[in-house]
Amino acid sequence: MAALVAMLAAGAAASGAAKTAAVHKAAQTATTGIPRTKDGHPDFSGIWETLSEADYDLEPHAGRRDAPPSPGVVEGGHIPYLPEALAKRQANFEHRATDDPRLRCYALSVPRGVYYHAPFQILQRPSSITLVHQFGNQVRDIHTDGSLHPVDADPELWLGDSRGHWEGDTLVVDATGFNDDTWLDRAGNYHSNQLHVVERWTFRDANTIAYSATLDDPKVYSKPWTIAIQLNRREANFKLIEDYCFTLEYADHYPHKDGQQ
Amino acid sequence: MTKKFTWIAWGGLALALATPVIAQVPEAAPAKPAQPRQGGGIARETTIIPIASGAWTGARTPDGQPDVAGFWSNTIGNHQNFTDPQGGKAHPDRPHAPSRVSDPADGELPYLPAARLLQQDFAKHATDPIKPGYVEPLARCAPAGVPKTFTWHGFEIRQYQGVVFFWFNSGWRIVHLDGSAHLDPSIKLWQGDSRGHWEGNTLVVDTTNVNGKALFDRAGNYFSENASAVERFIFQPDGKRFNYVVTVTDPTVYSRPWTATIPVRRYTPADKPDGWHFEVKLANHPGAAPAVEWIERSCVENNGGFGGGAVGVPSSAAVISR
Repeated sequence: MAALVAMLAAGAAASGAAKTAAVHKAAQTATTGIPRTKDGHPDFSGIWETLSEADYDLEPHAGRRDAPPSPGVVEGGHIPYLPEALAKRQANFEHRATDDPRLRCYALSVPRGVYYHAPFQILQRPSSITLVHQFGNQVRDIHTDGSLHPVDADPELWLGDSRGHWEGDTLVVDATGFNDDTWLDRAGNYHSNQLHVVERWTFRDANTIAYSATLDDPKVYSKPWTIAIQLNRREANFKLIEDYCFTLEYADHYPHKDGQQ
Repeated sequence: MTKKFTWIAWGGLALALATPVIAQVPEAAPAKPAQPRQGGGIARETTIIPIASGAWTGARTPDGQPDVAGFWSNTIGNHQNFTDPQGGKAHPDRPHAPSRVSDPADGELPYLPAARLLQQDFAKHATDPIKPGYVEPLARCAPAGVPKTFTWHGFEIRQYQGVVFFWFNSGWRIVHLDGSAHLDPSIKLWQGDSRGHWEGNTLVVDTTNVNGKALFDRAGNYFSENASAVERFIFQPDGKRFNYVVTVTDPTVYSRPWTATIPVRRYTPADKPDGWHFEVKLANHPGAAPAVEWIERSCVENNGGFGGGAVGVPSSAAVISR
């Protein structure tokens, strides 16, 4: 009863966080029938994609010309921007039709690559869990061999530096070292190069993963905030097809045929 | 790598426009006499050590494949000219490696006459790209495709259940070992569509669905979208080397199938990272044995603003509307 009262008093954001924690906890205790590797960890190998509208806009929004409606995936509803950062997000939003880096087929970074509407394949071995994204040229290693972030971490990586460990059946990933050139969605939500992401990956059942990411960035947000989405396994025998879409800009110049007169 | 730094090896025009950011590119200074290249340069072995197909007696992966995971790079280097990989100005004190073409025996690609003209036309303009089509697509961040991915930077091979994964400087390939069918032939791809199987020490990969846009080199050598390739990765018993032996069939461009042989060696944490063959960093893992990790490569993202609009340089305009 005391716990319930405390939760009610803590407000919407905390209640959201509690909900996400509960999902991961529940998933941890109800994980019979999931694929496992030889060493007993959950085996995420396979091809995954979200059904959510997260990439259109992480925050709650009605349907509009360029986005279907969504209740949002941010716990507590909205991203806790600092005042000046909120103004920048608003400017991004107004220029989203031209300024979203995805339109140039650039690497989408973390966590956007996970909830962008394109499949990605997880290749798993004991020392690393690797995300091969169909979109663009993005391969992200999550090191799970106990190694640490580089001491001389390059602060300007497109995909950051990801180190993971297991907490029961949950893969917890700490990612840092990002640049400030990527967006979080099509609505102009963004981060700086101070972004720090903690992801949690937990099987709900053999074909669904509960995914959450907590984003901290003292230059942009007033406090850490969390998104929660679900990933679904793609159909049996589904295979990625390369999508180096940045080549579309010049692909029609090839093959070279000018000498053929 | 950082957004301030580029890993792409630019063609002649881009070099003329370039700034010191591309100084680590091995062929960055065509005006200078060639030097024996160390560190970030290109290896210069001059011979191809034959490796016979046969049984595999070494370690295996959990799903039974010969275990060949690791970092690899070609040993002859130089991607300027597929059939004369160490050509150019004479270097009497240094022998040259032979053509990568091992069949026909003369080392020449057996072009049909019209296709030869196309190749020569490209070669003539490679350093004078008066039209966009004369810029090697790789210099614009396109994946290098078959076979060039194996003569450019070093790469990593990883193996998973039913999969061999190639991680290149300029893209990736997933080779499926599950006996599944190729994609519909209407789908054309830079890296093609690969299905493979193991025969003893040899990974045999059937590659189709190529888009025919990638070039083999800066001399305009190419195949068309009608090409198919059988790639044989023949591993030495000690796992230290393999030969990449690729047979290409393309009746649109060639009078007969031809075969190229590209020697490849393994790099280990005992080797010094060199930014070209072995682009890695030491893991930060106190108390553990030294291990190396892949360094992030990005290309189009970094070059987007570089000399914007110049030939060979991607612009920063939207390229998709999805």
